[in-house]
Amino acid sequence: MAEVAHAEVGHGDHHDDHHEQSFWSKYIFSTDHKIIGFQYMFTGMAMALIGGYFAYVFRMQLAFPGASIPFWGTLSPAAYNSLVTNHGTIMIFWVAMPVLIAAMGNFLIPLMIGCDDMVFPKVNRLSFQIFLLSAIVLIISFFVPGGGFGGAWTAYPPLSAKAEFNATPFGAPLWLIAVTLEIVAFLLGGINFITTTMNARAKGMKMYDIPIIVWMIVIASILFMCSVGPLVAGAVMLLFDQTMGTAFFDANAGGDPVLWQHLFWFFGHPEVYVVLLPAMGIVGEVTCTFARKKLFAYKLILYSSVGLGILSFFVWAHHQFISGVDPRATYLFTTTTLLISIPVAIIMFAYIATLYGGSIRFTTAMLFGLAFTGEFLLGGVTGIWLGSSGTDIYLHDTYFVLAHFHYTFVPIAIIATFAAIYYWFPKMFGRKMNETWGKIHFWGTIIPFNGIFIPLFILGAGGQHRRIYNYQNFPDLAGADMQDMRVFATVSLIIMLIFQLVFIVNFIVSLKRGEKAGKNPWKANTLEWITESPPPHGNFGATMPEVYRGPYEYSVEGREKDYWPQNEKPEPENR
Amino acid sequence: MAGHNHPSYLKIYIILVVLFAVSVIGPEVAPMFGAYAKAVVLLTAFGIAIWKAYLVCAYFMHLKFEKVYAPYILLACLSLLFVFFFGTATDAMFSNGHNWFKDLDEEAMVKEAEARSYVLNKDSHGDHGDHGHGAHDDHGDEDKAH
Repeated sequence: MAEVAHAEVGHGDHHDDHHEQSFWSKYIFSTDHKIIGFQYMFTGMAMALIGGYFAYVFRMQLAFPGASIPFWGTLSPAAYNSLVTNHGTIMIFWVAMPVLIAAMGNFLIPLMIGCDDMVFPKVNRLSFQIFLLSAIVLIISFFVPGGGFGGAWTAYPPLSAKAEFNATPFGAPLWLIAVTLEIVAFLLGGINFITTTMNARAKGMKMYDIPIIVWMIVIASILFMCSVGPLVAGAVMLLFDQTMGTAFFDANAGGDPVLWQHLFWFFGHPEVYVVLLPAMGIVGEVTCTFARKKLFAYKLILYSSVGLGILSFFVWAHHQFISGVDPRATYLFTTTTLLISIPVAIIMFAYIATLYGGSIRFTTAMLFGLAFTGEFLLGGVTGIWLGSSGTDIYLHDTYFVLAHFHYTFVPIAIIATFAAIYYWFPKMFGRKMNETWGKIHFWGTIIPFNGIFIPLFILGAGGQHRRIYNYQNFPDLAGADMQDMRVFATVSLIIMLIFQLVFIVNFIVSLKRGEKAGKNPWKANTLEWITESPPPHGNFGATMPEVYRGPYEYSVEGREKDYWPQNEKPEPENR
Repeated sequence: MAGHNHPSYLKIYIILVVLFAVSVIGPEVAPMFGAYAKAVVLLTAFGIAIWKAYLVCAYFMHLKFEKVYAPYILLACLSLLFVFFFGTATDAMFSNGHNWFKDLDEEAMVKEAEARSYVLNKDSHGDHGDHGHGAHDDHGDEDKAH
């Protein structure tokens, strides 16, 4: 990759030239944070293809019930359950988490804070290996007798606890093992992110000089560490219920099915913010660079994210308003749920204020960043109805919920990820992606995305329940007008998936033939842009960077250039 | 002290052993204190357990020598334990079912139905449509009774 030889660099024991390493040790068992980031990114993208394919299959079944589906065949009810379950699981645990946190965190944190690698490179490698194992276990679970787990991605008992209910005797335990392994992988990764950011920053980089995305990933890692314990405990208990005859969640033997919901959502809701924060960080970086303006209210954004993180531990029961939780608790959880929209709104408004008066460049990355802000606001606003326990009684478990969280998760896991890939692709691979095809991909993603989920809002408000195999069995939901909307959503999904091919082709072609990017194609300030593209092993060559200012000094008055890299000495003529 | 500020682990260990002895002996001799027996048990068992936990965390887990954010993260996790407990306790502390019931346990179902029946009987001639909701909302205290 990098032609520059840097054998003189004194970076520990790994500074041998790239050509001397075998493919095996360079790409498969690498301890280099950039390679591990790529491993996470490509695994996540491959899993996204699987998740997208699942979505296509079950949307086809909903639009054309009972018809033979191209590339699948006729879909059975059990397989439908399995697909719905694994679509959700894959998209959250094997797409959003690895790409947004692990890939971006691994690739960006050492580069942005100016150090040569993570502080625990071998823990980092172990993290990816466990993650890969978890992905393999999940994929194996699709091929065991009975197929993949079919008890919905939230795995509520009793449906998830007994094979006679979920009809997947082997898929269910394998699913739990896969999720637990995946969580172990991200705990190991999170330890690295936090420790590296706290201990390995470049000389002169103070806490408030850290780019916002690094902060967001660190806060997300802390949230993950603090929230994940109950889920691991719950997963092991559920595994025992499934395989060893215990009854932690079996009401008939003195267990409590609602306890699982508490254990799951105590993790599950902070998890939303675990993936949201890195996405917001990406959008912050992209917005700032392409608006050529200082990030509005950096400290306020930072404090809001911390507040968001703390508040996110007090809202989990809003997922359970109608599952029989104590009615007194619903007052509390409605209040906290509505409160949590304040820090999110602060961050969103700060991004909009950053745009105000900027000289905006509509690159593909910027378009995706702006789309995130707009679409996520829609997702957030529709959450208000679901957060208030009164309206939730009607809307719970309808497609309104589904459309709401897809309006939050698609901007997070898809739109922000695309913004990040278009933005950092030059740094990752040394070449730019094609902008024209990028914009075609952008519009081909955003318009069908709204085409999928706006009809689902309407259907949900009309009473269409989730996780139903065939709506023709329900007279109230089988009307031609409702079926037309389902077909519209499905067709939109197919269009959106087809346009992803544009992205894949653009990605592969740009790897080989894209325009050479140089060190700093976007004229950005943060430290990753001062090194070669792609960065060599050890990142910065012989001299590590020194930091003199914050990361967002754009369009500073009295300066010739409209950007001011963090490592540029204040008075160059003095030395 | 800078650079080499480890305490004597043996000293901490001996302190822990002594505290352990106190926490075993305390509850044993508590009845001698008459009216204060309960307080003595609580102090010697739980008070000393907290002290021992502090010593282990501070010295053996090195939290005393870490940067300040490390103990904060631990404290945050500890406080989340309480958040989780109090958020869940109202539902999960009732092993007989508080807001759910055992639908295969017929005897309990009959009792449950009887406990709720005052709502049903109140306007048994009226519209039956809403009874499901009304009964469900008002059953909180009756459950504890049986």
